[in-house]
Amino acid sequence: MPEFPTPSTPKIPLARYLKQVKDAGAAVTVSAPTSVTVTAGPAPTTTSTLDQWLLQDGQPVTHIEVPAGFTSETPVLLTGPATAGGLVTIHVGENAHVVLQETWKSAGTMLGVGVWLTLGAGATVSWLTYDAFAAKTALVQRTATVGADATLNWTIAGFSQNSGASLITTDLVGTGAQATVNVGVLASGAQHIGYTTAMTNRARKSVGHINQRGVITGAAHLIFNGIGHIVQGARGSDNQQENRVLMLAQKARGDANPILLIDENDVTAGHAASVTRVDKAQLYYLMSRGLSLELASRLVIRGFLEAGLAEITDPTLKQELFKTIDETLVNAYA
Amino acid sequence: MSTLEIKDLHVKVKDEPAHAEILRGVNLTVKTGEIHALMGPNGNGKSTLAETIMGNPRYLVTQGDILVDGQSLLELPVDARARAGLFLGMQYPAEIAGVTNAEFIRAAINARRPDDDQIPIMQFLKQLDATMATLEMPADMADRYLNQGFSGGEKKRNEILQLMMIQPKFALLDEIDSGLDIDALRIVAKGVNLQRGPEFGSLIITHYQRLLDYIVPDFVHVMKDGEIIETGGAELAKELEKTGYSHLKAGEPNA
Repeated sequence: MPEFPTPSTPKIPLARYLKQVKDAGAAVTVSAPTSVTVTAGPAPTTTSTLDQWLLQDGQPVTHIEVPAGFTSETPVLLTGPATAGGLVTIHVGENAHVVLQETWKSAGTMLGVGVWLTLGAGATVSWLTYDAFAAKTALVQRTATVGADATLNWTIAGFSQNSGASLITTDLVGTGAQATVNVGVLASGAQHIGYTTAMTNRARKSVGHINQRGVITGAAHLIFNGIGHIVQGARGSDNQQENRVLMLAQKARGDANPILLIDENDVTAGHAASVTRVDKAQLYYLMSRGLSLELASRLVIRGFLEAGLAEITDPTLKQELFKTIDETLVNAYA
Repeated sequence: MSTLEIKDLHVKVKDEPAHAEILRGVNLTVKTGEIHALMGPNGNGKSTLAETIMGNPRYLVTQGDILVDGQSLLELPVDARARAGLFLGMQYPAEIAGVTNAEFIRAAINARRPDDDQIPIMQFLKQLDATMATLEMPADMADRYLNQGFSGGEKKRNEILQLMMIQPKFALLDEIDSGLDIDALRIVAKGVNLQRGPEFGSLIITHYQRLLDYIVPDFVHVMKDGEIIETGGAELAKELEKTGYSHLKAGEPNA
């Protein structure tokens, strides 16, 4: 058996997680317009020890094929199994225009979740990931490979209860490929969770932006790694990232680690990171209209996370997210 | 009738206890039914007075008192002062994403009502629509995030919208006219004038006589070096427009 590398996840004990036994996986539920085909697919190519771990025991892989030229605003809905992890591959054909929405509320002990998305040339994908895992621990890997002149606009709402790691990897492989990855995470209780969001420019004139926002309450520990990488030859590329963490409790712990790897000269790149507390000027303004400290705090925190979730336009989902924020914070203050 | 009383108020910046007092013995009484204008050069304590009355935690009262109907506000946090009837129209309103303007204003109204008597949503929306129409604000501003991406003029108008919806007893308006074009100024003034009546008093901080052409004050005060050094009627503002502030006597130290 060949040796595979373990993905780089600073401060996240991935190797230790990989020693744990994975729960059996199950098929995901997909609801899509008729021209989109859903089949049992072959396993994706293994390139890392995490892939190996996810793909072991030959668990089912669901393949979603969005045909070239497909255009619809009706989202392709993907729902994770109730009590298991799952594996999904998605191929979006050339010049297709599609909205993807995935929701995971899966329970279990040690879940493995893998989603591999490929965008053909000129495709446009709006991808909304909603993680609300009830599982104890989960290792989640999502990978997007973006072709020439294709555009990916991806929002990840991390509102789970599990500990573990989430790897969000975007590879810009075609000239002019563009991707924006927004991540909004609410960590609470005794959760110990790490996000490694990587954006790699492998082609010329590719543009990749990462924007991560995290709120931490209770005794939770949240790690944000942002890894921007421009490989040699990707001239004229742009790679930017922002990682911001808001700490609400004495025992809360937060890490924001921006990492930039630049192997090409003719590029632009930048990063910003901060670990902060609730904005006092905003609190004062809300309270000056009579809102209690507790309510004002909830609204300010919601506003902070909103910067990572701004692309979510579905009002029902937005309400659900805001409700989760409110409930989590009410418990945090209780 | 209600009364807002400022008695011998001395104030410092909390984080700079070694620095001199910004307010050095301010005395002022505003009754409902009255409009007071507070004028004076920059950096002489006008905004500090408004912020201190409202309860901005940045400021420390070292002497004196602030009372509404004889009850001291000094021990009350900002939200309790708001519910006691105070409102501060701010010079630099904060921007808050994730909270719509309408949601925020409704929360502010409900904060003044008991839990079992919250404002019915239809009644609220009707009132909001009508008030926004009065202020010539586009309807979509209700659903935009609070002050997020608002222009300077829109923010000021939004302060007046909140004032009209919340209906406080006393409104402190801190340079509500700054950065406004003449049409916006007229609209903002219209909003404030509509509030005028026996149940409403206001302290309007401004640098310019122009605003006072639209909102005619009952009293005009001039603040310099942390004290009110002159008080008169509306004609005082007109006089100052001609003469400026420089001829006025400076406040006496530690008076």
